[in-house]
Amino acid sequence: NPIVIDLAYNAIDFPSLENRM
Amino acid sequence: AIEDLFASLNRHIERSEFDQAVKISDQVLSIAPGDEDAIRCKVVALIKNDSVDKALLAIEACSNKSSIDFVFFKAYCLYRQNKLDEALETLKGQEKNSAMMLLESQILFRLGLMDASVDIYQNLQKSKIESLEINFVASLVSAGRASD
Ligand SMILES: [K+]
Repeated sequence: NPIVIDLAYNAIDFPSLENRM
Repeated sequence: AIEDLFASLNRHIERSEFDQAVKISDQVLSIAPGDEDAIRCKVVALIKNDSVDKALLAIEACSNKSSIDFVFFKAYCLYRQNKLDEALETLKGQEKNSAMMLLESQILFRLGLMDASVDIYQNLQKSKIESLEINFVASLVSAGRASD
């Protein structure tokens, strides 16, 4: 089977906490 | 203070200490229930920790308390649980950003709906997503359209 990368996972990011610290 | 908790949370995220990130997020939420950043950090940390079951529970728990849009996270967790029809249903009728389109394409691929998967990758080609060609080619090959 051809390789598939979980690109959706790579798109999951933490919010920026810059203004909360 | 909540600022100190967020500084600590940020440190754990930078070190990929996701268990700790979940704990600190919970501490923030005990002080400030419904804090959007804390909820998002908790859900993302659980996903990055491969705890998609717990991530779904966290999403459900806060869906009444907040107006945060968790459609993408929810659909992603369902996809990881291989609940593909539910995942697709969650995305249905939503205005989709590129992350949601990637996810939809991966769901369609797993469902064996290769032409639909290919169509989405074609629409994403302009968005310069890293490694997109790999999944695009996989869908093309599986659709029997490798010559495209
Ligand atoms: K795919």
